[in-house]
Amino acid sequence: MNRSALLAVAGRELGTVVRTRSSVALAAVYALLVVGVAWTAGLSGYLSATLDLLAPMEALVPALALAFGYRSVYDDARSGELDVIRTYPVSRSGFVLGVYLGRLAPLLVVVAAPFVAVAVLVAVGGGAGSSVIASHGGADTWVLLVRFAVLTEMFAAVALAVALVVSTVARSLRGAIALGVAAAVALVVGFDLGIVAALGAGAVGEGSLQWLLAASPNSAYRGLVLQTVLGAVTTLPTPAASAPANLLGLLAWLVGALALAVVTVWPGGGR
Amino acid sequence: MTEDDGGRGASEVRADRAAATGADSGSVEPVARIERVGHAFDGLEVLDDVSLDLRPGSAVALIGPNGAGKTTLLRIVAGLLRPDAGRVRVADGRRSNAGGSEARRPVRAGDEEAGARGARSVGYLPQSPSFRPRFSVAETLEFYADLVPGPVDVDAALDQVGLGSVRDRRVAALSGGMLRLLGVAQAIVGDPPLVVLDEPTGDLDPAMTDHVFEAVESLAAGGTAVLLATHDLTGAERADEVAFLDAGRLVFAGPPADFVSETGAASLPDAFLRQVRGEDGVAPAVRRGVER
Repeated sequence: MNRSALLAVAGRELGTVVRTRSSVALAAVYALLVVGVAWTAGLSGYLSATLDLLAPMEALVPALALAFGYRSVYDDARSGELDVIRTYPVSRSGFVLGVYLGRLAPLLVVVAAPFVAVAVLVAVGGGAGSSVIASHGGADTWVLLVRFAVLTEMFAAVALAVALVVSTVARSLRGAIALGVAAAVALVVGFDLGIVAALGAGAVGEGSLQWLLAASPNSAYRGLVLQTVLGAVTTLPTPAASAPANLLGLLAWLVGALALAVVTVWPGGGR
Repeated sequence: MTEDDGGRGASEVRADRAAATGADSGSVEPVARIERVGHAFDGLEVLDDVSLDLRPGSAVALIGPNGAGKTTLLRIVAGLLRPDAGRVRVADGRRSNAGGSEARRPVRAGDEEAGARGARSVGYLPQSPSFRPRFSVAETLEFYADLVPGPVDVDAALDQVGLGSVRDRRVAALSGGMLRLLGVAQAIVGDPPLVVLDEPTGDLDPAMTDHVFEAVESLAAGGTAVLLATHDLTGAERADEVAFLDAGRLVFAGPPADFVSETGAASLPDAFLRQVRGEDGVAPAVRRGVER
């Protein structure tokens, strides 16, 4: 892989995102929503902020990631610039990885920024501690919020990889939008509904439940947050999920989506 | 014409260029070999058994009516489209300073990753070039320069196409002609041995058109093989060869003067019209200099 080409592609994507007003507007809206949710919930502590934000994040992060990435490759294909790039010594994997990394960097900053704001607000105005968990067994520390933020970044990275696939397979702007919405719906509720349906139909045994939960990015993310944040401070029984399985699930989605994007980024024909 | 060429005729300039590059068209190993290429879209045949050699130091103007298959052929030569039949063999990007063929190694058709490892084999200007609108002219070219190994003098490349004075202007603020010139500058980044230009003078005024053909002549003088599709027949006359494509078939390939004389016309535009209309005295499928 040509590293300099990869970095050039990444730099171009980063420059594009930074200079695109809609990206900046999206980042601002996302930050306001996250801080707003935490604020209205009371900012009583780091743990409660995590619990208050978990459900909104499951919807906001995929939506944000898809907005950041669903047109990334499609725009180049539509304008014809992708054809030009293909005449340079750039491999499919180098190009896809460059686009991914170039979009991931600003996305991670945007995702993390409101966590900093929430942490500051809790530190300054909070302090009542968590009262929602009766069996609270640990300290309510900022480390919990950091863990939550890191896991949210991982979730965002997976969602962006899915967005990249959308951008490589879309053949029209409408198609890209439709695919983006479909991917967002699938990530937010679709896979979870599939798990519920499988459980309802008795198609899944108790032993394979943890793998089924890990197979859904949303569920894997939720499970990891509950296990590593909630599980760290409570004696309550943790959900029937496995942290390694969930990590493996997210990793599989990340690698699988990027691999699919590499395959579909441009036709196999040509010289 | 370049400034040094003064008022000399195109044929004299071509002779000088051939002498300078050693590009006697029959003796020099081609940079690219188009071998019996055929292609169809949805069952509609757009290219039929097209063969053509592209030699270093030689500019070939691909002419023909709209829908003749010019863009399809260019996309195939650029490696963007796999032909249904036949193949295109293009040397890799390594080249000697003299522009000769010794340093060039033919690569197998379909060897996409080979290109990803080395230098650029083919420079390409699409029919409608487009770049990220929020980037400046220089930033755009710097991005492409970063994709090829070795240093690229971006300012010199911009000066070569006449965009040096607008290097900091945003792409969104460029005129259609300037955008095309930026596309030409991009096509020569990495000093590829073959440059493929699809309608490089499409939106350009006569002065800019002349400038582009000067750049093409300069490229060829430096040993680059140039294949350009154009409807500008005055410009096409300045090429070393014209290749006439009609309904997907290559009906002529050779010096412009030969095309004119073989069609019994007075000029290349006249020869073009006679070939397209099939007027008296014109062989509808004259083939000359086309290797099969």
